[in-house]
Amino acid sequence: MTADPMQKVRDFILERNPKIGQLAPQMDLIDSRAINSLAFVDFIFLLEELTGEGIDPEDLDLDDFRSLNAIEARFFKQKAAQ
Amino acid sequence: MTVREIEPISLDLDRLEQMAESGYYNPYTIFEWPEVIEPGKPWMSENLTTLAGTPMWDELSREQQFALTKYEAINFFSLNIHGIRELMSEVVMRIHERAYAGVSEFLHHFIGEENEHMWFFARFCLRYGGKLYPAQPALRADSVAHLSPVAREAIIFARILIFEEIVDYFNAYMATDQSLPHIAREINRVHHQDESRHVAFGRMVFVDLLGQVAKRDPAEVPAVAEYLENYLQYSIGTLYNPAAYRDAGIPDALALRRRALEHPARLQAHDQILKRTRKFLSRAGAGRELIG
Repeated sequence: MTADPMQKVRDFILERNPKIGQLAPQMDLIDSRAINSLAFVDFIFLLEELTGEGIDPEDLDLDDFRSLNAIEARFFKQKAAQ
Repeated sequence: MTVREIEPISLDLDRLEQMAESGYYNPYTIFEWPEVIEPGKPWMSENLTTLAGTPMWDELSREQQFALTKYEAINFFSLNIHGIRELMSEVVMRIHERAYAGVSEFLHHFIGEENEHMWFFARFCLRYGGKLYPAQPALRADSVAHLSPVAREAIIFARILIFEEIVDYFNAYMATDQSLPHIAREINRVHHQDESRHVAFGRMVFVDLLGQVAKRDPAEVPAVAEYLENYLQYSIGTLYNPAAYRDAGIPDALALRRRALEHPARLQAHDQILKRTRKFLSRAGAGRELIG
């Protein structure tokens, strides 16, 4: 796994939303449109790369992608604890 | 539904309607479906695959190259199926709205033909590939929610148009590519034949709606242009499916996708694919040159 995958997640979002400036960990990334439909597919591919695990598009739970906190808990903390 | 805020669309579609009627074919009997695809032939034109022109293509074994044409053909047809379903559902919702009353005759042809296209693409994928790739996930909250209803309406029809134009670039080429199996060539040919009418219609509707956007609030036009440029890039990205790379036995699919998407030869290929659409958007007044 990459050294700081969450930094890569933040970079991905900020690169597409330079006006945001700073990302709060609990900010709703979907409702705020920081991640929109057009970026979502690439975002999933990024998470697959960072975790080394596939994400089935037909089995997505949007709440896992809602905030930096949710992403970290779902994709990175579980793995780190294993 | 917000469509009530749209001024009635008035277009002269007599010629397109006549062509749809005189060129009507029975999609369920027009094709001869072989038991299996002829061996030793690419399923998609080799120079249309997502690795064409890059060293990554040359590094593949001949077997992997053929496998890539197979799975990218399945991916391309799957994208067609999902795209058609999305655009059909938008059109079905509008067909009897007041704003579209003047074009509903053509919309009936459109829906009928698109349903038939969806059928033959799915039949090809399931019969010869044993699968469809799943649709790309979508989010309900989108980057256009803040725009006016008419701007969002223009974007919906532009998405339909852009999808059709990109697909048609591939169809038109593969319709005459003698290296392809007969059935693959035929499907591309028949689709191309119908899509030329749909593209003509889509362009007319978009120009009308964009005119309404400009009349209501010209400041919204650059926002429409920006969304459409992003949509063009997104559409190109969907052609690069890591699942197709994996199915073709190519390792490191995600890294390969990233490398391929950024490769200069591919950027040039993207420009070629999008050239006609970008030219149209610029002429219509919603080109990427408006983006600040």
